[in-house]
This record gives sequence, C-alpha cells and structure tokens, in this order.
Amino acid sequence: MTESGAQLFARLEPRRSLKDVEPRLFPDDGGPDHGEVVELYGTEGTGKTELLYHLLCRCVLPVATGGLEVDVVFVDTDYSLDMLRLVSILDSRLNADEAALRLCLSRLLVVHCSSSSQLLLTLHFLETSLSSRPSLSLLLIDSISAFYWLDRCEGGASVAKQEEKLSKCAVLLGRLLRDYRITVFATCHAMRRSWSGPSSSSSSDYDRPYLCRPWQRLVTHRLLCSRLEAASNMAATAGGSKEQRRRQVFTVHCTSSSSSRTKAYRSSSFCVTDGGVEFI
Amino acid sequence: MVVLREGMCPGLDEDLVRDLRAADIKTVEDVVSSDIEELAQRCSVSYKALFAIRRVLLAQHTAFPVSGADLYEELLSSTAILSTGNPSLDKLLDSGLYTGEITELSGGPGSGKSQVCFGVAVHISYHLKQSVIFIDTTGGLTASRLLQMLQAETSNTEEQMEALQRIHIFRLFNIFSLLDCLYSLRSGGLQQVSVGGGSVKAVIVDSVSAVISPLLGGKQNEGMSLMIQVAGVLKTMAKDFNVAALVTNHVTRSGSGELQPGLGVSWSHIPRTRILLERVERATPVSHSSMRSATLIKSSRQPCHIKEEFDLQWGSRSKEASSGKRKLDETDSG
Repeated sequence: MTESGAQLFARLEPRRSLKDVEPRLFPDDGGPDHGEVVELYGTEGTGKTELLYHLLCRCVLPVATGGLEVDVVFVDTDYSLDMLRLVSILDSRLNADEAALRLCLSRLLVVHCSSSSQLLLTLHFLETSLSSRPSLSLLLIDSISAFYWLDRCEGGASVAKQEEKLSKCAVLLGRLLRDYRITVFATCHAMRRSWSGPSSSSSSDYDRPYLCRPWQRLVTHRLLCSRLEAASNMAATAGGSKEQRRRQVFTVHCTSSSSSRTKAYRSSSFCVTDGGVEFI
Repeated sequence: MVVLREGMCPGLDEDLVRDLRAADIKTVEDVVSSDIEELAQRCSVSYKALFAIRRVLLAQHTAFPVSGADLYEELLSSTAILSTGNPSLDKLLDSGLYTGEITELSGGPGSGKSQVCFGVAVHISYHLKQSVIFIDTTGGLTASRLLQMLQAETSNTEEQMEALQRIHIFRLFNIFSLLDCLYSLRSGGLQQVSVGGGSVKAVIVDSVSAVISPLLGGKQNEGMSLMIQVAGVLKTMAKDFNVAALVTNHVTRSGSGELQPGLGVSWSHIPRTRILLERVERATPVSHSSMRSATLIKSSRQPCHIKEEFDLQWGSRSKEASSGKRKLDETDSG
C-alpha cells in the first residue's frame, strides 16, 4: 500500500513509550513498552475500571501535573465509559482548572462499537487516525470481552467460527502494534467456566483466559484484579455511622511475559477514593 | 456483518459485486480486511477504484470517533438526575437515577422492587411531569395501584388522570417480544410516545430476569446472547435518548451463603449502579412490616455497601389511608 511521505514519517517516528505509566503496578523496569498489550482481567467490582481511568488520566494529564501528555483512543464496546467519573478524577489532579481540563479531554478520542464486526471496521478506520496523529500512543479497549456471547451464539456449533471475528480483530491489532508502535490496554471481564463445587469462591476459578488464541498471544502483561474481603469487620464495629467509609482494598497481580524477558511478577494493592486510585 | 450489495456506494455496480463474490468477498468486512492490490488484479478492476470504494464503505460503516471534550460538553447539557421520590434511595443513588445509565434493583420476593418501581413512575409522571415507559413482564402492575399512589399525592382527579396518561405500559412475557418492543422504541417509538405529554425520561423494566433466567443454563449459548442483546439495546437507548433505565432482578445465594443478584457474572457488568433490597429483620417481628433496607452493591460514585432503611409506604402519605393500607397489606401478600 502506498503512503505519503508524511504518513511514512508519522509511522516511523517513535511514539511516547508508556513504560513509566505506573511503576507501582508493573515489575521493575517492566512497564508496557512499544507494541505491548496489557490486559486487565477480573470480575465485577474488582476495580478494573478505576484502574483503567487512573492509567488514562496519567496519560492525558500535562507533564506539569505528573502526566505523560499523550493522545489516547478509547474504544468503548459496552457503553460503559463514565465521563463524569473520569472528569472528577482529572479535576482533583488539576485543581479545578477549566482550560486545562478541556485540553486534557481534547487528547481523548472516544469511539463506540456495538458488535465485533464494527470493532474490526473501527480498527481499520483508526489506522488513518494513527498515521495522522503521531502523539497517539495508547489504544484503550473497554472491554474486549463485550461481544463474547454474541459471537459464540452467531458462530453456532463450530468453535472456529465463534472465535473468528475476535481473532480477526486480534490479528489486525497485532499489525497495528507492530507498524505504529502503540500500546494497548484492554479490560476483560472474568467468567467462571466450570462449576467446581460450592466451596470454590476462590479467585482461581476466575483466572482462566477464555478469549481466542490470537488475543492470548498478543497479551504481554496480565493484571489480575481481585477484591479483598478482609474489611467486613469494620462495618460491624463502626455501627454504620456516616463517617465510616469502608475502605475496600483491591489487589492486582501482574504477570509480565514479554519476549525479551523471562516472566516477571508483581503484586500491589490499592483503594479507591473520590480523587481516584490510591496505592497502598 | 454487512453484506455487499450494488449501489451501496458509487462505483459498486452489479458486475463488481458479482466478481467480488466470486473471489469470496461477500461482506463489507471482507472488503476492508483484504489486500486491495491483490483483489484488484483478481477482479480485473482498477486499484484506484477499489481503494476509493473501500474508503467510502469504511467511512459509512464505522463508528465515528468523538473528542472527549465534545462528549463531556454534551453530557453536561443532557444528563439529568431523576429523583426516585424516596429520600433514602436518593441518598444511596447520589441524588437519584442518572439518565444515560442502567440502574438495577434486586431483591427477593416481597422485598419491594415493584413497589419502588411504581413509586418512581408515579413520581416522575406527577412531580417531574415527564413520561415514563413501564415494561411489565411479571403481571404485577395494576392501574388501580398507580391510581392509589397518585391519590395520595393529590386529590385533583384531572391531575391524576394526566399523570396516569404519562405512564405508558407494555405487557410482555417472553424475551423476543421484549427485544421487539425495545427495538421499536429505540427506532422512533420513544418520539411517538412523547407526543402530547412530556418527553420520556425513564424506561422501567420489571423484571428483566423473569424473561431471561428461564433461558440460561444448559449447554446452549442463545440465552446468554439474548441477555447481552437486551443489555445492548437498553444501554444504547439510555445513552442516545437520555433516559434513565431502571431494571429489576431476582436474587440467588452465592457459594458462601450471601444474597447476591441473579443472572450471573455476565450480567453483573451491565448495570452502572446496583441496589439490593431486603426485608428488615426486627427483634420483635411485626407482620406485614413495610420497612425495607437497601444496600448499594455497585456504584461508581459512592463507596459501596452503605445501607439505608426506608418505609415502603412512604409514597402513600395521606392521613385517612390507614384502613386502605391495611387492606392493601392483606391483598398484597402475594
């Protein structure tokens, strides 16, 4: 495919690396580099969305307030983007500066997709955005598993047909990652695949990846999110007073398996406040 | 999956569609994903023409990216918060139901989900003077109950009738008619309904689990797929038309014996806010007590697990209604 000189330049020009986006989450010197994919995996209520917004804010904030000042594309597959929550997190970091808020928000591009075919077409379309905006370094997909059941039903009995659409999207993503050297963060809702007895409320049931192989091969960092149930005593003792805020603690286990390094692990915990995620 | 047809875009004539089909290119996705040079050679058509067709098809069928700043502006001007009419619930929901989102009320039988939904419908139609769409899948909605709640708000029969007219009721008992109804509402039905009264501000589905849970389970995927379709159309309707979607759900017991909302893990990501309703256990059990407790189990705005207690009869504030209430309790035990 022919491309103009400007496009070639935009493609080859190095985009901002996101290695330092959140050093507390990833193993030492192991943040997501060019062309790597981070998957946030967990059930509902484990803090994935908060973590995603935290990383998103870190990317769009100006360098003066501790951000990376890069452009971000947010692919919203299940209409779950909570703009008001995002703005309240940005506000708390920017100290209610209207103009700066507008500038940060203008670095964000939001696309809604309603099916995996539309996701595929949108990724093709985004290729033109990628070549015309060299500051675009991050593609956020929330969530990559939104069409799982729709595809499974459409594919009928053959597993290959069920996974076909997501596989095509994954292959295309792989090409965009290689050609344009961007980074991808994606959330994936966990599901329990098999019923293994009444005593199995442990998180190990929920770790198993279930999306198609091409997607699994793309993922280099896997963040397993879970919620600690240890705070149940606080509610009983505090007596339900208004000031008592049950500080829910969330944990993240990061497994990094990029090709250049051996597998590395890191665990961290955080809780959620009005101003966003606070690591413990 | 959009199938290629002639006339979809300039340059796509019948012959070209036939040649493409012969080369195993049947849908728009196939055109967009394939190698244009190779395809041009195989179908003996100029590379430039095919490239232009690809670009037009792509522009026609992709979702258009919006800048975050524009999205935020739009949201600020169009989002509304609808009070539920019950101050304890409003406290849990951070002042009320937000438009553009799905809020879920779950609870066991007799926990008051339907009563809360009626209260919300009456409050929005009478106090806020806006239309409400109420989709009843359990058969629990009666106009006489709505009238009774309205009579507690005002004794002017004209106002009562006007408020009743703003509540539009659909009775459906299976998932396919639910999907039909939602799709037709989304493609023009909502505008039709709002002619005459105020615009539609809320869509209440009581209950969404009654039509979905019979389809779940077993080895088939259709039930899950239909559930996700319902969720999808509710969300797009809420977002595109700025309505608040309120759904009710049943409860099940988790592995550790706790009460949790039904419909499983795949549904748990769908609503933005979830509230669990329970009967209040008192030391001296009073039969037909109308106290309920509501727990916030999922929210993006408040810390979770805050509990509020409220009286279901809060909506009926009239003084002489004590005998009426007792009668209601007797008949309402189902």
